[in-house]
Amino acid sequence: MSTRADQPVTKRLEATRSLRSLIKGYYEELFRAADEGRPSAWLNVGVPCEFFYAMDIFPFYPENYAAACGALKITPQLSAVAEAHGFSADLCSYVRATLGTVFSGEGPYGELPRPTLQVSAMNSCIMVMVWWRAVQRHWDVPTFVVDTPLVREHSEGINLDYVESELRRMVAWIEEQTGRTLDEQRLREVVRLSNEGKEIWSEVLDLRRAKPCPITAADIFTHMFPMVALRGTPQYVAHLRALRDEIKQRVDEGFAAVEGERYRLLWDNLPPWFDLKLFEDLAGRGVNFVIDTYTQAWGPRYMGTIDEADLVRSFAAYMGAGFLNVQIGRRYELLAELVRRYDVDGIVFHSDRSCKPFSLVQVELRKRLQEDLGVPGLLLEGDHNDQTLLDRGRAWGQLESFLEMLDARRG
Amino acid sequence: MTRGNGGSAPGANAGAAGPAHGPAGAGVAALERLRAVGSHPLVELAAIKERTGLMAMGYFDSYLPEELIMAHGLVPYRITVSGVDDVRSGEFIQRYACPAARDLLEQALRGDLALLDGVLFTRYCDSLRGVFAVWDTERLSPFVDFVRYPTVVDTPGAVTYLARELQEVSGRIAEAFDAPLDERRLLDSIAACDRKRALVAQLAARRASRDLPLAGADYLAVLVAATTMLPDEFTATLSTLLEHPPAGEPGDAVPVVLSGTTFDNIALAAAVESTGLYLAADDLSTGSRWYGVRVGASLAAATAATAAGTQAEGAETRGEAGGPTFTDPWEALAYAYLSKPPCSVKEPSSPRADHLVGMVRSSGAEGVLFYLTKYCDSEQVEWPFIRDRLEREGIPVVMVEGDQKGEGSGALSTRLEAFREQFELGGDLA
Repeated sequence: MSTRADQPVTKRLEATRSLRSLIKGYYEELFRAADEGRPSAWLNVGVPCEFFYAMDIFPFYPENYAAACGALKITPQLSAVAEAHGFSADLCSYVRATLGTVFSGEGPYGELPRPTLQVSAMNSCIMVMVWWRAVQRHWDVPTFVVDTPLVREHSEGINLDYVESELRRMVAWIEEQTGRTLDEQRLREVVRLSNEGKEIWSEVLDLRRAKPCPITAADIFTHMFPMVALRGTPQYVAHLRALRDEIKQRVDEGFAAVEGERYRLLWDNLPPWFDLKLFEDLAGRGVNFVIDTYTQAWGPRYMGTIDEADLVRSFAAYMGAGFLNVQIGRRYELLAELVRRYDVDGIVFHSDRSCKPFSLVQVELRKRLQEDLGVPGLLLEGDHNDQTLLDRGRAWGQLESFLEMLDARRG
Repeated sequence: MTRGNGGSAPGANAGAAGPAHGPAGAGVAALERLRAVGSHPLVELAAIKERTGLMAMGYFDSYLPEELIMAHGLVPYRITVSGVDDVRSGEFIQRYACPAARDLLEQALRGDLALLDGVLFTRYCDSLRGVFAVWDTERLSPFVDFVRYPTVVDTPGAVTYLARELQEVSGRIAEAFDAPLDERRLLDSIAACDRKRALVAQLAARRASRDLPLAGADYLAVLVAATTMLPDEFTATLSTLLEHPPAGEPGDAVPVVLSGTTFDNIALAAAVESTGLYLAADDLSTGSRWYGVRVGASLAAATAATAAGTQAEGAETRGEAGGPTFTDPWEALAYAYLSKPPCSVKEPSSPRADHLVGMVRSSGAEGVLFYLTKYCDSEQVEWPFIRDRLEREGIPVVMVEGDQKGEGSGALSTRLEAFREQFELGGDLA
């Protein structure tokens, strides 16, 4: 059996074309802001971009940028630059790719402009904090960390008070750094658009419940860009509407993203950005990943929306609910719910060397879900951004065996 | 002059040649006791439980105030990195988790930590939170709880928050163990822990000045004993050692500062010193970044007087170290622990480099041995910064990456000997 499909077996969404134009426009704006001396900020995905759009500070997400490096398969060469500066090859591949760009000026968009400031939040991993720290030391960029102590299920009580105070401290710091003030009414307008987009995103995710599923995992991962970087902007809402309408039409027409959909699987963790073709190749075997955990992190079903009447506290609760800010019990609840809602046959746990918070609970999750719900899981060793850390042949063999096991269960 | 030359570290044979001062054998006996505890901390814990009938609460993170545990009449026990081979942990957590965190899990899965009635986790790092997930799910101890610890350590908000969080954890401990908080005991615990930490600091200072040339391996044993023995007994034992130091001559080994996170591997420290280096001081989370904590210095006089059973004449507004003071002991605890020289998992981390350079200067060390624990994300990012800072300060540094296991290797010895030889060369040139 070939491990790669010779011809595309899935049909790309029309919305992907407009997505390319959105991304292009986003990067053009990054460079334009730098040329015009407008402030920009490097944020990690746990930091709400809504504050920055409301303050006319261009929000840039290096995780997103690094994923682009991954898709272009240039992480190893950028990593070599970071390693030459003394950074370990064992570090997160996002970090190595970005630092490689910072140190060399090389990358898919050329030399990145130095940001005005950086903000990271602790609601994902320690890595983002130390990543920003490395950039801070190299470029001497003012840097702020929003503390969001890990919680078991959600932020409440003293924890919520603290995170709210941290956000207020962040706003005061940004105002001090940029001389701009946060207009609450403007933030409310941004939040309104942000919430609207999140609701649409939730509809998109719900449409994946259809049998057959109308889109592939590669489709949904590709379309995460606006959820990360453009929340609260009019173009984000417009794009999501178009995406939803196209997918809804597919559902109405009974369109199957994977012809002869035989296995409905759940993907846990980030995807291998350098090999989204893996999903295409699996589609040739009748596999569709009809749902995943990663994209839930931007959906209101899991994260909630922002209360316009109590903006800052609501953002604090939102950040506290972050998928990587909660403990295993909450992660289990979400996975169990997704298994039921999407009627999945099995779970592929991408054991991602570059994402410890996501990965290091997977062995337990797999065991519990198998025991409690009878849904089998495969632990697939890999990485989200560095192709040298994925043994494609071995992975394919594991996936084949997993599918055979699913067949055997069906009798 | 050729220096070092292997095996001539100060105090390498301390205790073997008999006492230098004071009552015969007292210092030697104290050192032997500390060595025994340092080498086999769980044996000591078993003895404490047998002797006192008290329950024990384990923890890993040196940011976790042991006073919190003591205030409930429980025995605090810092779970050390044992260096056991990974056999079972791989069934529960991936191999790219930090080996120190995996070691803790391995000990629990082997049943080595069955003496613990409970364990308190913090986030500390992303590997440790993964271990918590397994621990919690598998119920590897009768009680397990998670302290929602701040990462940002230099804000008043973090102090207030941590103080309240510690109180909430205290409430859960009280309920789970039917062991209500005794406020007087909290204050007494603060005083007792401050005393022992101050004594360890004294030992470190005397080692740094070569007044008490205790081998680095013995010093690590003292650090382990400090968080294993009951505080008063530890203080008495270490006091005896300080009063009656065993015989030992300052050798001609090259003094270096050992920098890293947790480092409990006594055998590896001995192997390092056998190459002609002397671990004169440390920059470890369980060493100098811990023993400087003085909670009492942040307690207002009125509160401290209550602890001492004396009448206060009025609350101070500044502590001994010039920092703020608090009437609430929880806030004093929070402030003192958050203010210690930071680990690289905390923000800001830059004071750690200042601390390291300070340790080099105050100990007269000629270089730094940076022990990088494999898969430790924050230290991997910190290392180039530390290296560059030391270079600017003119301090030679060697980085060794390892998994905190084993007793050294030929390759390690060769590397460290080469590092030592650069000082010999420098000496000859001078």
